[in-house]
Amino acid sequence: MPPRLQGQLATNPLLPYISSSSTTTSSSLSNLPTQYSSQLISCSSRRTNRSFSSAPSSQTKHRNEMFAWLNTGGSRLKDHKPGRTNYLWPKTEAGLESMNRDLKSSHPFPLNKDYISQPILSEELRNEIHTRVVFKKQSIRSVSVDLGVDMRRVGAVVRLVTMEKRMKQQGKSLALPYARAVHEMVPTTPLYYDVSEHRQHPHESINDLPVHRLTDPQIFYPVSESRQFNRVDAGRVFSAAPALERREAAENATNPAEVISRITQNPSRIERVGKGENEQEVLQPADARIPHPHLIQYERLAQSRSTEPKKNREAYKQAIMQEETAEKERKRLAKERQEQQLTKVQPDSSRFEFRFKDVVVSKETTGPDGRGHKAPGRRYGVPSYERKKGQVKIPTQVQV
Amino acid sequence: MRNRATTPLSKPKVRQSWSKYNLFNLQRMRNPPTATRTFFQQKWTAKSMARAYHGEQVRESQWARMFSRRIRSVVPMQAANLAADDGSNMSAGRGSGLDSDINLSAPLTPFTQMTFAPLERRLDVAIFRSMFASSARQARQFVVHGAVTVNGKKMRYPGYLLNPGDLFQVEPDRVMYATGAPKDKKERREGRVARKQAAEQPEPEAAKEEGAAEEGAEKEAESEEQSKEEEKINPRETLKKLLEQAKTIMDDSKDVLAAKRKQELRGFQKAVKRVLSRGDSSTVLKDNLESQFSDLITALKAKRQEKKGSKKVKRSRSSEEDSAAATTSDAQPGEALTEAFRQAAENPDDVDTSELSNEEFDVLKRALVQMRDNPIDNTKPYATPWRPRDYMGAFAHIPRYLEVNHSICAAVYLRHPVARPGYSEVPTPFSQAVGTAAFAWYLRRR
Repeated sequence: MPPRLQGQLATNPLLPYISSSSTTTSSSLSNLPTQYSSQLISCSSRRTNRSFSSAPSSQTKHRNEMFAWLNTGGSRLKDHKPGRTNYLWPKTEAGLESMNRDLKSSHPFPLNKDYISQPILSEELRNEIHTRVVFKKQSIRSVSVDLGVDMRRVGAVVRLVTMEKRMKQQGKSLALPYARAVHEMVPTTPLYYDVSEHRQHPHESINDLPVHRLTDPQIFYPVSESRQFNRVDAGRVFSAAPALERREAAENATNPAEVISRITQNPSRIERVGKGENEQEVLQPADARIPHPHLIQYERLAQSRSTEPKKNREAYKQAIMQEETAEKERKRLAKERQEQQLTKVQPDSSRFEFRFKDVVVSKETTGPDGRGHKAPGRRYGVPSYERKKGQVKIPTQVQV
Repeated sequence: MRNRATTPLSKPKVRQSWSKYNLFNLQRMRNPPTATRTFFQQKWTAKSMARAYHGEQVRESQWARMFSRRIRSVVPMQAANLAADDGSNMSAGRGSGLDSDINLSAPLTPFTQMTFAPLERRLDVAIFRSMFASSARQARQFVVHGAVTVNGKKMRYPGYLLNPGDLFQVEPDRVMYATGAPKDKKERREGRVARKQAAEQPEPEAAKEEGAAEEGAEKEAESEEQSKEEEKINPRETLKKLLEQAKTIMDDSKDVLAAKRKQELRGFQKAVKRVLSRGDSSTVLKDNLESQFSDLITALKAKRQEKKGSKKVKRSRSSEEDSAAATTSDAQPGEALTEAFRQAAENPDDVDTSELSNEEFDVLKRALVQMRDNPIDNTKPYATPWRPRDYMGAFAHIPRYLEVNHSICAAVYLRHPVARPGYSEVPTPFSQAVGTAAFAWYLRRR
């Protein structure tokens, strides 16, 4: 049996990336408060005690360390502080907690600088959104612009608040103390008394442009210096479409707002390039792909004639109206088309309605070689993988 | 499925969990060393660290199939900038603009921190992210045990991949249990006793209807006793006591012990019940908070008025009528009664309310609200009145791709998480060094 070494501590060879806290405390002992050093002394005294005793120790070294930390450095984290976040603080090389305030208050993970705990909607702001959409009948688009909240979030808030009201009406139990506690722990965006404040300090950026797959590669495209090369041209280059004719480009330059509204109001009429499998839409400029394209025209007017804000606002409202009517019309047509494809049968004695849809066997479903297994019906030589091992049967969507 | 997601201290792994062990491990985690290790070793370490946190319940082969090297990202656009320039300024000259001072120094987009973004689509992970469960494993259990609905339908698959716009909801009781402080020994015992009593009770309840007449007689006797007590107890004193108790309950300072607070709450509950039962209205425990509050106030006020009436000669007829109107309006619950009450309080003639300021009434009302929303109920599986579990605040953050309503324990999965200039939306405890190495591991060129 090898002799036991008294003075040595077992190191952690398995995971060198997790340093044990005892080594850090010993390395920076000189600049630590007395609390730590006293704890260190108690640790070492315990160690010497243990070597003489034959009774098994009640706790491991790691547990001792953990509870020591929970009672000193970690005691701050035990209870939350209402109205403030209470996260772990990042450590600097010296082992001391750094004093950068906004790092402390917004980063829940001390090592990860790329994740921020962003504010959530406060109760009042949520209710304001709900009243604007449901009672004042404002459009989701305008509420989104006014309050600086993403359109999808506005829709979700309306759904959730409606649900909350219904549950309250039904007398179901809500988790109110829990909700209050969470809103105390997490940063929240308040409802400003002056509503125009929301434009200066929006909850989130509402005009997010999703990065398109076609823009991933870097393309070297030589252009003469005399040419006006704008975003429309760049989109055509990215999707390998031929350049616009000079006459058309000049026309577009005279009325950019009209060009954009033509795209956003008729998305099905966007020009397509490529053949067969590779056919795709021409990449549109950022002006058309952001959620609120009408804001650009508003800004353009504001920059050109800043002395007539009233006229600008009217034009802006009209643009929104046009956009919405076009969207409604599009939705109505899509619904009509869907209805036409469906055959509904409701027998007199039944409480069910049967809906039949004609099978479409086309190139889209069966694929170019006619062997695609997604298409309905049995075709010779096309096996059904329905009962094959390893097929995932988890539903992919829940429709109401 | 066996739970391998332990949080040991000797071979520490950081997990999706709010336990204090995990907090300690998170606190002492450092970036893995790279100086003496091969690239393969670095990637292996990073991948094993990251996978212990991200979707450890998902098999490696399953995750390898889910992994996508295409990472979603967005660029926030400014409408003013788009309006000022159609892009030709940027491409002018030799392709990089004529002005050299075009500011292109946007912060870098941390793409590789988004490696595990596909896992955030899973139902169990989304439940954990919206703070409805204290760990991803617990979230998974909630799903499997049928406590979760997606779009109003029960969903029993924790691996269900949420689609943008899906609304999921967890039973509020489970959430309160998951996020609340656990019961201590005494409370557990009380709960057992309460359950036992509840199990025994149904028989006497059946007999109750038969002996209703007797009970009625008893009640009358009780009320007589109470009326005797009423004469003894000064209502002003009771109100004062009530207020004091309410203040201690509303006091959130930590130096008031939890047990003491609970005692106060119980005492307050009892006092309120007594005051209410003394009044004419027979409703001891009303569901409607407004009506309960108004009953309480009228019960106290009515007595005071009687007293005053006996002391002084009725000063003016009009004030009497005012108060009478107030009491009549009190009978119907709603906002009107509080308004009437406030008017009475503002009236200087009304001596009744001179001792109580609006703040004090507010305190009383808030205490009542808390008593209703957060009652003592030993049958619940968590410590009551509910309070957040220890160290919950250190893990409290909600990513932007979810819109959460905590009071109904429901959330909407708005969109897939995206990377933006400066930050990523996937909550991960690891630095970019680990994220990049893990991403490189799954690129399958090792």
